[in-house]
Amino acid sequence: MFNRRQFLARSANGFGALAALSLSETMNAATRQPHFAPKAKSVIFLFMDGGPSQMDTFDPKPRLRKEHGLQLPFRPPTTVFNISDKVLGSPFEFKQYGQSGAFVSELFPHTATCIDEMTIIRSMVADHSEHTAANYFIHSGSGFQGRPSIGAWVNYGLGSACENLPGFIVLESGLIPPGGLDCFGAGFLPASYQGTLFRRGATPVADLEPPAAERAKQRDKLQLLSKLNAGVVQHFAASSEVQATIQNYELAFRMQTEVPDLLDFSKESATTKEMYGLDDKLTGEFGRECLLARRLVERGVRFIELLTPQRPGLDRWDQHSNLEEGHRINAQSVDKPIAALLKDLKARGMLDETLVIWGGEFGRTPCAQMGDKGITKDVGRDHNPYGFTMWMAGGGVKRGLVYGATDDYGYFAVQDKMHMHDLHATILHLLGLDHLRLTYRYSGRDMRLTDVAGNVVKEILA
Amino acid sequence: MLTLICSLPVLAQQPGGESTEFFEKRIRPVLASRCAPCHSGSPKANLRVTSRQALLQGGDSGPAVVPGKPEESRLYQAITYRRTNLQMPPGGKLSDEAIADFRQWIAMGAPDPRTEAAPAQPVTKQVDWDRARKYWAFQPLTQEARTIDAVLKPQGPAVPDNAWLRRVTFDLTGLPPSPEAVAAFLAHPAKAAAIDRLLATPQYGERWARHWLDLVRYAETNGHEYDNDKNDAWRYRDYVIRAINDDLPYDQFVREHIAGDLLAKSRLSKDGSYLESPIATTSWWFGEILNSATDSVKSRADQVDNQIDVFSKTFLGLTVACARCHDHKFDPIPTADYYALAGVMHSTRVREAVIDSPQRRAEIASVLEKYPLRGAAKGPRLELREGDQLFEGFDKWHPEGQGITISNGVADSSGPGTLVAVGSLTSQKFRMPKFWVHVLMKGTKYAKPRPGEGDLRLTVVADDFKSVHFFAKGEEGFTWNSERMTFSKDRSCYFELVDRSRSGYLSVGVIVISDHKEPPAIEENAVLAPLVGEPALDAQLPASAFAMISHDEEPGNVRIHVRGSHQNLGAEVPRGFLQVVSSDARPVADGSSGRLQFADWLTSDARALLARVMVNRVWAHHFGAGLVKSTDNFGLMGEKPAHQELLDALARRFIESGWSLKQLHREILLTEAYAKTVPIRRLEGEAIRDAMLQLSGRLSGTLYGPGVVPFISKYQDGRGKPPTGPLDGDGRRSIYIQVRRNFLTPMFLAFDYPLPISTIGARGSSAVPSQALMLMNNEFVLQQARLWAKRTIAEGRAGAELVRSMYLEAFARPPAPQEQSAALDYLRQHGDNEESRADLAHVLFNTAEFSYVQ
Repeated sequence: MFNRRQFLARSANGFGALAALSLSETMNAATRQPHFAPKAKSVIFLFMDGGPSQMDTFDPKPRLRKEHGLQLPFRPPTTVFNISDKVLGSPFEFKQYGQSGAFVSELFPHTATCIDEMTIIRSMVADHSEHTAANYFIHSGSGFQGRPSIGAWVNYGLGSACENLPGFIVLESGLIPPGGLDCFGAGFLPASYQGTLFRRGATPVADLEPPAAERAKQRDKLQLLSKLNAGVVQHFAASSEVQATIQNYELAFRMQTEVPDLLDFSKESATTKEMYGLDDKLTGEFGRECLLARRLVERGVRFIELLTPQRPGLDRWDQHSNLEEGHRINAQSVDKPIAALLKDLKARGMLDETLVIWGGEFGRTPCAQMGDKGITKDVGRDHNPYGFTMWMAGGGVKRGLVYGATDDYGYFAVQDKMHMHDLHATILHLLGLDHLRLTYRYSGRDMRLTDVAGNVVKEILA
Repeated sequence: MLTLICSLPVLAQQPGGESTEFFEKRIRPVLASRCAPCHSGSPKANLRVTSRQALLQGGDSGPAVVPGKPEESRLYQAITYRRTNLQMPPGGKLSDEAIADFRQWIAMGAPDPRTEAAPAQPVTKQVDWDRARKYWAFQPLTQEARTIDAVLKPQGPAVPDNAWLRRVTFDLTGLPPSPEAVAAFLAHPAKAAAIDRLLATPQYGERWARHWLDLVRYAETNGHEYDNDKNDAWRYRDYVIRAINDDLPYDQFVREHIAGDLLAKSRLSKDGSYLESPIATTSWWFGEILNSATDSVKSRADQVDNQIDVFSKTFLGLTVACARCHDHKFDPIPTADYYALAGVMHSTRVREAVIDSPQRRAEIASVLEKYPLRGAAKGPRLELREGDQLFEGFDKWHPEGQGITISNGVADSSGPGTLVAVGSLTSQKFRMPKFWVHVLMKGTKYAKPRPGEGDLRLTVVADDFKSVHFFAKGEEGFTWNSERMTFSKDRSCYFELVDRSRSGYLSVGVIVISDHKEPPAIEENAVLAPLVGEPALDAQLPASAFAMISHDEEPGNVRIHVRGSHQNLGAEVPRGFLQVVSSDARPVADGSSGRLQFADWLTSDARALLARVMVNRVWAHHFGAGLVKSTDNFGLMGEKPAHQELLDALARRFIESGWSLKQLHREILLTEAYAKTVPIRRLEGEAIRDAMLQLSGRLSGTLYGPGVVPFISKYQDGRGKPPTGPLDGDGRRSIYIQVRRNFLTPMFLAFDYPLPISTIGARGSSAVPSQALMLMNNEFVLQQARLWAKRTIAEGRAGAELVRSMYLEAFARPPAPQEQSAALDYLRQHGDNEESRADLAHVLFNTAEFSYVQ
């Protein structure tokens, strides 16, 4: 029969729960241990879909202003639009913040007040110049559809610490990144590890609750189901899979009751709500996501990904035109909520065990992307995976560190390059997982998040 | 980054002492600390930096240092970080000073006193073929006579007859048996007859076609950012269903997959109107297609990689794609073999083609010749500027169908004078040289192409992505239509002119590729005589069939991509196949891709493995696991066969039967082993959905045709989201629900539906709470339960008979007394009405027995 331990094993991954291919696998997952003592227990990934510009946020390049409008002195690599090699100076002012004295542009005044909690990586490198492949790459370490997303790998590696919720939750914000939901897929891992998209509204998950007309009868129907399943068990003899299937109805019911509690912000203080900017039109959406992220971490959810809020007339952070206005609105939408999240986690003593990651699938070029009129106020920047900025905070990374550098134009990472595979290896390391040992046999190979590359970057570990 | 290209005085080689000192002081420490960690011992890229000779000899990419020539030295190129794909050291650039030192040192002639020999390894190592071929999977089939029951010696009781019938009905048709079929079988439990009856139903082909589609990563859209349609993909799905229902010999099925467009004799459809065999070659092209690749060569290499991966796993159970970057680490598949196959695929492309049979072509021609000939078209005269370039003439393009004629350089899809005529015209591939394409065209106004809905367009296809469309505006005379090649410039492109409309036409006078945004001036415009309407004839013109099929283009060999990189080419490899299962040399003739030889090779040299792999797949579907558990990997990393002699005996009889799958089913299903030893198994999402439709009475018996758009709930989102299809999919079987890569059906996914990425011979079989949530709360499930309830009322069922009949329909067995009474109690408490019966139906859908077969 199905004992308590197996039951917990099954519930270890919440909604997604575990593939019951065999009980041994189930047991294996339940007792799954990190490879070594973890620093972080949960991850909050603030995914800046579209690719924020590094030289307009965290990587100041005064030379661009000096050479504004001039031709770049080298031939840039092929980009998606292949449109310009004219240098574009940043329209934003930079200032130093905190004890670390790191520069942050006027786009992130709130986040900048947390600068001493952060490691800013200015030397990120990725492999793909267009969104879809780049999105798959930052999530799964491969530019193609169908590989497991990092959140799936983490749950595969660690199991979930939450019984009633999925271990990998994606907070939807009106925009799904190019590449679609496969950015959060389980790939060849059991489907149960895939990211669950939480939509806005009272019923965030598909099929979580019966339609209103059905609710009153649910208990009676479940009772009937239980009686009829008793017959099935007799009929089928003791099959562990069938047992598991029957047991799942209990789990499903528990999840149904957990979600309303999760979404109920009524016990959050007015100060908290103000801090996250819940009542402000511009910050309300991402503020809700950030607060929800904290509440999910409190419930033991391993990996939470936040998506960039939709803004009228803007295509994510993808400002091929209207860089100045577009980046300003995007930054204002997320800046205050991010600062609130970092401060709230810190105040509650959760930041040390929660790794917060900020960044997009690539950065942007130092050149102006423009029409026939030349450089005007509404120009933008193209995609640039050769050198861009991401930052991390909490969860065992160094505080107040600026790591790596791009060249004078901010085009290429030249010092302490951090390839996406290195970032993935480092994130797994912080979670107590050795990226070389976190493998899954597929297609005759032991597959990894980091493919055949990746080094843990020790220099940024606290 | 360019600040460091300092102009240093180039020093002549200094006398030994000084130059050695320069090396020792400035170069050696950097080599030792920044390069040697990876480039010594077992070095990366086979490049060692540990001696002068090693540097001169270099690694996989050739010499690292060319003495006296820093700019030509890969080592110098790498450390300057000027090429995005060649930057060393990978962790960060050397200091400007160090880079200048290297420049100077190479310019000096790279003086280096170190003399250690450099034993560089070749990229391809020698395989001991005799030894490799001893591996069981590469051996000929063993000759022992073995039967299933004699080998497995099944013990214990057989499942009851009704459970056996339910299992075999799901196994062969993916549906539960009807109560009538159950009653008939219980009265006369003749298993062979029952199996024959099931094999003769069209639902058998639908069921087993879906298994096959799992192998070839079947999808009807491209995925990536916009998830565009793959036109006519569904024709392949129907091809597979027909082939399986017709029991097409498997070796023929395989030959058609590899080279159905090249076979001397093509099979015809039942009505004789179109060619069957070429449709199988659609299977090469179900992979993901990038909408805005920045590197055409890489995109194509990735596509070929996916093709090799899928085909080698599907047919041979081998992971050949592992040999893309290096010799296969476990199996005797050298990189050279991979690129021999890659050459075949690089010589093959896809086209939106017309597959009318010769007879249908003759029928069309006989109607077309009745049309009065339209006067010859007149081509335009243009004032071309510097930066304008005329695209090559339409007479060099490849025509499909009979709807397009070329007259004085004008391509006209009204053929010999009717809007009804259809066809396509496809250019050679070329690299898009400029940013602007101006098309002088006229034709029927048309907006957005939808698959199979009368496309009327000139399209720029960039890296197989239908990137930019030119549509006619319905105006008088020829007018310019200009588009910017924002995403297509520098990519591998071709034009396709497609007329699939029976009520419109399109004429193209000229295509100008230009640096200019404005089209060139017209000195004299193109002219086309007006059409003479012939409605009576129009109605007689028979329909043409389009399909997405393979054909050969610019056949040639490829060079080994060192470490899998297209930017690092090694030796050229002649097109060919896997050496480990080759008995004869099969040189590929110039001018052909080699797919025909590929088909010959697979079905002769490789036939033992081909048969083993397929027999094992069929076995796995019936027994829940294969004799070789890793159905897609028969290599060293796969699992060993549980009973090789049995597998081989089955494979032998499979071949002897004329590669008949139906015969193979009979042999397996009629055994004691099948009656006694099959474990309880969960059904696939499709079978669960189809069973609900059958019970609700909503199941449509319609076979074939374009897919039904899936139902899209508010929980599905992303670019390329189609307008939702009906909640119940029009009652069609699940195989007819479109496989939209980015919008796969959640109900299927919850039950371990395979992503259309690579070959999946064995799906997962999870039991997770999301399945319970789906079955409890999903609107489709509730809708079908309600329909089932209505049907029981319409049929006048009641009381104990009602419950009994529902159990028989769902589970092929009557309810046990306690089940009977629990169900009746519920109806008594809540009132025996449609509502409560819907509850009962819904609960029956949710019982574990509904999703499992015994």
